Amino acid sequence: MSATNIATVEAPPKAPWIQLALALFVIGSVFAIYRVYQHSTAFTLGLDYFSEDFQTYWMTLLYAQLPILTLLGAGIVGRLWFTRERYPAQVSAREELRRHYVVLSQILVFAIVAYLTASIFTEADAAWHQVTVRDTDFTPTHIGLFYLGIPCFIMAGIVAFTYAHTRLPKFIERVSLPFALVVAGPIMIMPNLGLNEWGHTFFYAEELFAAPIHWGFVLLGWATFAAGGLVVQLLTRIVELTRVMDKPAG
Amino acid sequence: MAQDAPAAPAPTRTAVATSAEQRRAYIQFDLLIIPLIVLLFMGIFSFHFALLVGDWDYWVDWRDRRWWPLVTPLALSVLPGVFGYLLWDRLRLPVAGTLTILCLTFASWVSRYLNFHLFADFPMNMVWPSTYIALGLIFDCILLLSRSFFVTGLFGGFLFGLLVYPLNWPLLAPFQVPVELHGTMLTVADLLGYEYVRTAIPEYVRKIEQSTLRTFGEAVTPLTAVFAGFLNILNTWFWMWIGYLGAKSVWLRKIT
Repeated sequence: MSATNIATVEAPPKAPWIQLALALFVIGSVFAIYRVYQHSTAFTLGLDYFSEDFQTYWMTLLYAQLPILTLLGAGIVGRLWFTRERYPAQVSAREELRRHYVVLSQILVFAIVAYLTASIFTEADAAWHQVTVRDTDFTPTHIGLFYLGIPCFIMAGIVAFTYAHTRLPKFIERVSLPFALVVAGPIMIMPNLGLNEWGHTFFYAEELFAAPIHWGFVLLGWATFAAGGLVVQLLTRIVELTRVMDKPAG
Repeated sequence: MAQDAPAAPAPTRTAVATSAEQRRAYIQFDLLIIPLIVLLFMGIFSFHFALLVGDWDYWVDWRDRRWWPLVTPLALSVLPGVFGYLLWDRLRLPVAGTLTILCLTFASWVSRYLNFHLFADFPMNMVWPSTYIALGLIFDCILLLSRSFFVTGLFGGFLFGLLVYPLNWPLLAPFQVPVELHGTMLTVADLLGYEYVRTAIPEYVRKIEQSTLRTFGEAVTPLTAVFAGFLNILNTWFWMWIGYLGAKSVWLRKIT
């Protein structure tokens, strides 16, 4: 029996504020540094894919970040799986409440990465394409958006999904469809990226941002509309866990 | 196999012992959930709007009388519709219109400044985002007063289409002033567009003022606004229905 199975937290649980602040600091720093790097080198060293500078300053970054993110994601998800809760019926109410705090903290991290990726890094790509003609799929903005931002987005989603389905008793026994949809959207952006790049090399060299070739991304973004169902599932259980038994709440 | 979640059973145990503990727990959840929702709205709305309205909102010389007032409300009422259902039906909060559009506005200003101005060197008065906050306020007020999704879609959806152009007119008017360049009359917005060359959107993909539009005189703008309004009634109802589906608590039984 793992330690978490027999743990009974006597004091009221708290959200993992320190870990959350640390995660936000790390994510904020990585994206901010990346952004400064992009700002200072994209238009000076990132315009010609066939130049030596491009290979040094941008392709090296791509080759480094892909395996790092893959290993990091696989490591975290693997650890969550192998330390999963095996006796959900024995989880105390306070421990279950604490785990809900953790899941919501993870979804908050997911939301931060969603904002950074879907707004700032996506529109950096929009702005970039207006003033350059692409000679590669691996432009400086694509390397930041599709090979850093989206993988981080996917990783944050899968980590939260895995944590919930290996730790929360109500999620262990079944799969939350809304949660699955919210996580599946970012994952499917990668195959859609293949379609997008193929289309841009084949029949649509321009970069009208509202063009039909981009609508697949929109459809996948709409997967987050299922977040409402996830909120309902989480809040329903949180309300049950936070009822005061001796007198009615409120 | 999908199934709707059964009604919540009576709890047999709780994680809080007193009302004070309960209040502390709720405060912590609020501190997690409120920024989560705001950031998610900023990300989703920005992404959705960029890829459906995109250039019509990016560039001052794209805000024409035909496409911009038609495309914009259709994309703009999606999140108020979807999350309006969730926030009103489940939490009795008539704030989705204002909140989602405020999130879009904030995200748009940050992005236009960081990306289009600082990164790609376009002047801010060429790439400023339009204002839509009043539409969100109207949507929420109608929902609050009518307490009906039907009425909100009917009047709120219609006003979304009707008011996009007049709301932005004070901001847009200075860019519609005619100027003469080399013997040709054009607008200040057109001139900005020609001066700041966008290599990936050459003039032939600039979808503005197409077809016989210029022969219609001043009737074009109200015509488009009313058409957009009628279309947007159906659009808003549709997205409220999507919000109803999205707010369902559906569980899948595990295969193993």
